Amino acid sequence: MEALLIAKYNYWIYIIIMMIGLYAMLAKNNLVKKVIGMGIFQTGIIIFYVSVGAKKDGNIPIVEHATSGHQAINILDYTNPLPHVLMLTAIVVSVGTLGVALAIALRIYNRYQSLEEDEILEQIND
Amino acid sequence: MIWQFDIILLTLIVLCALFTISIKDLLGAAIMFGAYSFLMCLLWTEMGAVDVAFTEASVGAGVSTILFLAIVHRSTRRVKVRQRGRIFYKGLGLTASLMMGGLLFYASSDFPAWGDPLAPASNHVSPYYLLHTLADTAVPNVVTSVLADYRGFDTMFETSVILTAGLAVLIVLRLDGSRTGGPVRKMARPIAKGYEDTIIRFISRAMAPFLQLFALYVLAHGHHSPGGGFQGGVILGATFILLAISYDLQLVVQTFTEKTALILANIGLLIYSGTGALCLLLGHNFLDYAALAKIIPGATTVTARSDGIMMVEIGVALAVMSIIVIIYTNLVSDGTYEKGL
Repeated sequence: MEALLIAKYNYWIYIIIMMIGLYAMLAKNNLVKKVIGMGIFQTGIIIFYVSVGAKKDGNIPIVEHATSGHQAINILDYTNPLPHVLMLTAIVVSVGTLGVALAIALRIYNRYQSLEEDEILEQIND
Repeated sequence: MIWQFDIILLTLIVLCALFTISIKDLLGAAIMFGAYSFLMCLLWTEMGAVDVAFTEASVGAGVSTILFLAIVHRSTRRVKVRQRGRIFYKGLGLTASLMMGGLLFYASSDFPAWGDPLAPASNHVSPYYLLHTLADTAVPNVVTSVLADYRGFDTMFETSVILTAGLAVLIVLRLDGSRTGGPVRKMARPIAKGYEDTIIRFISRAMAPFLQLFALYVLAHGHHSPGGGFQGGVILGATFILLAISYDLQLVVQTFTEKTALILANIGLLIYSGTGALCLLLGHNFLDYAALAKIIPGATTVTARSDGIMMVEIGVALAVMSIIVIIYTNLVSDGTYEKGL
């Protein structure tokens, strides 16, 4: 049971975080809350990728300088760097998407004086 | 990788996420989201993803929180408490997320165990990167060499996505019917009465050059330690945001104008793609920095790759810095550049 918990806990948590994010995006009434839900969903995916790359007893992926001659590099000692690269750029892109989403929310607020979805819909339908 | 620590952190993260979406106040939600990002940062460090942690600290916990504060400042922090007729949407959201969660839980039984060194994801190309990075590029930080060399195309288009996001913010906020995106009105910098705080202003003014120096260090030392163009660029942009908050927006907008920022962002992307095109002109493939050995004096094909990585990282940093400043100044002033936080 303990082995199963350790082996799968990360994946369960990332699923739960993605569920929270999806729920917030669909069910929340406030536009900024929806954007926050999008951010939470993104971090859930990032947890998944980074967890896939983690290695037991793995060091950070910065290879030691071989000061005297060439030492063999044991790949099991280093965490898989590939998911880190993908997720690093994903985080920076997420701030771009966040900026665009918030800009659109701001324009909506300026027009309807509200960030609540139902109030905006009422004004549109009138 | 300490699994006890991991479990504590993950539990706290889930609690933070739940609080963030349930707080009935947008300012509180923004701050809570910042705390959530900092916990994420710890989690990445714990799993050995130091570069991701660095990015999350500067982008997720730093700039994103400021952007949320900016929009709360421009609009309202109110969240409607009682919601009539939301049962349908809540039920829909709950059903959809439960169905997605159920499917993923079902699929999670097929995932490799957490921390398994022989997991399929760690067995295909990543051993090649780890084994050959020093011999190929003389860059010990594998994340940097994969980011800018082995997978340079990815990063180039990610940088153009950032540029596009900045342009989209400008289109949404600066161009509309009433404001036709005319020239920025120059305002005499008013000294806000009773609002200035000498200590905060002095400290942030004194710290800004050191922060920028640190950003340049992060950028230049990305080959050997966590860091690189993205992190350095975000920290550079954050120093301008710090000045805009502690003084006023006019200080930043008048010295680091929209035009300068846009030109710098484009130059940044041009440096990246230009480096690639230069390699093409020298008879190698696009972004194959080994070609640069022909024009950099004293460089071998290996150190030329390291230099090429440095060049594109500078381009990335320029683009990211300018776009962060553009997004912030537009969001906080609603596209008018008149008054900020």
